[in-house]
Amino acid sequence: MLKKKICMLGSFGVGKTSLTARFVLSMFDEKYHTTLGVKVDKKVLQINGTDLTLMLWDMAGEEEDAPIKLNYVRDAAGYLLVIDGTRGATFNVAQSIQDRVRTNIGPLPFVVAINKTDQRENWEIQESQLRELATLGGPLFETSAKTGDKVEEAFLTLAGMILAAQEAGGDGIPEERS
Amino acid sequence: MASPRNAASDRAVPEILSALDLAVFERRTDGFFRNVAPLPQWFASMLDESADPAAIDLMDAFPFLESFLAECESAVRETGCSQSDIWTERDRDGQYRHLQALAMNIAGQSLLIFEPSTGAYTALQRAHDRALESERIERLRRELARLNEELKARNAEVERATRAKSDFLAAMSHEIRTPMNAIIGMADLLSQTPLTPDQRKYVEVFQRAGENLLNLINDILDLSKVEAGQIVLEVVEFDLAEVVARATEIIQVKAAPKGLTVRYRILAGVPARLTGDPGRLQQVLINLLGNSMKFTEKGGLEVTVDPDPQSNESGRLRFAVADTGIGIPADKLDVIFENFVQADSSTTRKYGGTGLGLSISRQLVTLMHGRIWVESTVGVGSTFYFTASFAVPSQQAALLQAPAESTKAAASQLNSQLARGLQILLADDSEDNRFLILSYLKGTDCSVDIAENGRLATEKFEAAKYDLVLMDVEMPEMDGYTATRLIRERERAEDAKPTPILALTAHAFAEAVRRSLDAGFTAHLTKPIRKATLLEAIARHAPEARAESRPAKIHVTVDASLQDLIPGYLAKRTADAARAAEALAAGDYDTVRRFGHNLKGTGAGYGFPALTEMGAAIEDGAKTHDQEMIQYKLDELMRYLEQVEWSAASGPAEG
Repeated sequence: MLKKKICMLGSFGVGKTSLTARFVLSMFDEKYHTTLGVKVDKKVLQINGTDLTLMLWDMAGEEEDAPIKLNYVRDAAGYLLVIDGTRGATFNVAQSIQDRVRTNIGPLPFVVAINKTDQRENWEIQESQLRELATLGGPLFETSAKTGDKVEEAFLTLAGMILAAQEAGGDGIPEERS
Repeated sequence: MASPRNAASDRAVPEILSALDLAVFERRTDGFFRNVAPLPQWFASMLDESADPAAIDLMDAFPFLESFLAECESAVRETGCSQSDIWTERDRDGQYRHLQALAMNIAGQSLLIFEPSTGAYTALQRAHDRALESERIERLRRELARLNEELKARNAEVERATRAKSDFLAAMSHEIRTPMNAIIGMADLLSQTPLTPDQRKYVEVFQRAGENLLNLINDILDLSKVEAGQIVLEVVEFDLAEVVARATEIIQVKAAPKGLTVRYRILAGVPARLTGDPGRLQQVLINLLGNSMKFTEKGGLEVTVDPDPQSNESGRLRFAVADTGIGIPADKLDVIFENFVQADSSTTRKYGGTGLGLSISRQLVTLMHGRIWVESTVGVGSTFYFTASFAVPSQQAALLQAPAESTKAAASQLNSQLARGLQILLADDSEDNRFLILSYLKGTDCSVDIAENGRLATEKFEAAKYDLVLMDVEMPEMDGYTATRLIRERERAEDAKPTPILALTAHAFAEAVRRSLDAGFTAHLTKPIRKATLLEAIARHAPEARAESRPAKIHVTVDASLQDLIPGYLAKRTADAARAAEALAAGDYDTVRRFGHNLKGTGAGYGFPALTEMGAAIEDGAKTHDQEMIQYKLDELMRYLEQVEWSAASGPAEG
């Protein structure tokens, strides 16, 4: 069976753990639990008839004095870049992470999730920032881990991109591991 | 071979590790990690229950370790330093477990040691909670700042819009007043020419409509100025009784045809002289009285002034305007002070008015640091109250010794005789206005020179000697302010006595008045100007030496067809007035009423509308046995009959 590693990247408190829990366990916890180090979850999918095990590396959110550990991203097949729609600064963190990953690791498939659509009245992300995000190259999803809105779409799209990249034998995509 | 002592220490090691709550594994030759001591409970809770504790596949149980070891094992081997990292797992109950992994090499043996990392987690969680909270506060602070900015911007916008509205209204007022000056003035003049009863009725409609329109414009202007915060109250010393008396007199004139009495009482304890804005106070009183009058069909109105019982300040007064009108339903008592609101929306049609008067009054009263309210019983009447604070001039602190009562009033001093024989310079660019003023002065002996703008006015002023100048303020080439300033400068240079210069302007605002006085004008007349107002102003301001030599006369032009009847008519009125005075002294109000009724019915027909007005007032006074009022009107009538001078219109009236 195909097994692929996906990293959840972004600032702290943007909802990486919640998105993972929504996708893997279909749950949502209102209480905020920070992630210490990394937490690995597993989800088995079938995409276009292919069985695929996703290893979801939910990584501790980036902080000013604690950047994400790129060495755990090195063997990933793709990543989900998460932004908190209600916190404008998390947009800049995501952009910076994306820069570092591309420079240090290479062009991995990724999707961008702007999370917390359930609090859209408090969104700070500007229209201009959305346009800027679109130029990063990853598909954009406006998600809510709380309601589940667009969560599965974001993960499945990423999984599809990873499979497509593998079929194309593209560079920078790590070999499958059994 | 292990010595007994070594064997003891061998047994001790697992126990120590267990006591320290550590899970310790070593890499065996088969590549798998095997625990070197029994696993602590917390570690076991993360493993599959069915797993064989002797053959745990750590990499399978904790995928994190695969990456961790790939990263660090070579480093450990090469450097000899241990490597560690932290991570999170879920136990069999779904609870998060926070762990620290430590990879080390002891005597060529790879060891993996695990311990709980609860402390690190708690610290991180707390730090993140704090960071998120401070971010949230920062966001709220930014939002607050943004809202403040927005509010400021919106306020500025509203202020701009209000100012624009106010400027627009001021400009419109000027544009409306100028033609209205012509309309109302001409209607006044027309009413003084011989007219058929039908024509007179039409002219009266004209005059009334014109006056209503003017009042409406004034109301709207006032309201917009109050709303824009542009009304600044005057601070001048004034006589309270005079202001109250003037307000009641003005309403009395309007109330007389309805047979309503208008009285006032100023109670003991009210200072005689006050410092404040008498004009605005009078405006509030007139608004309230006018409003009461509109809704009162019989009975009367009464103004009462007393010290505000809620206050100890000596300048804090309470005014009450009571009527015997239709009253106001309880649920409408508050809303009637709002803009454009009347108690019954069908009221506007039945009783007229814009509903602005009370709203303006409320705002003016607020400016006077007072409040306004109404108490009312439907079918019985209403009493409008307001309080206001005034300063009491220190040297005038004496209170009114005795309560003052209505309705003694100063005689209207239309001393048109003073206007005779004066040399007047009229500067106005509008032909209509010039024609109007000339028409007003036609009956007098004044001779009038015309200047079409300020420059011509100064030239004419230099070339000839004038007793008085009437100066429009807005003129092409040179405006009235500049022209007046030049004239004043010239007078000062020649050490000449200042010539009275009366400003004619459509601007009714106090600021406009102040501006014209600042420019050197003697007085300020607001268009539309009524004939009586103009003549009175000329009389008041014309140099006295010349004026006093003139006999007191009132000039009236009558229909030529009536000229033979006039001397007899006037003689009979004089005789009757004397008899009426006797009847009044005897308390024979019936005779007085018949006299008044007769005078009212005939005066205007003969070309003397003033007689009709006086007759009506006398008749009304007789109905209510108002001795003082009748005496006052009879005195006025006698003076009028003495002073009146008439001539026949030169040709038959047109139309």
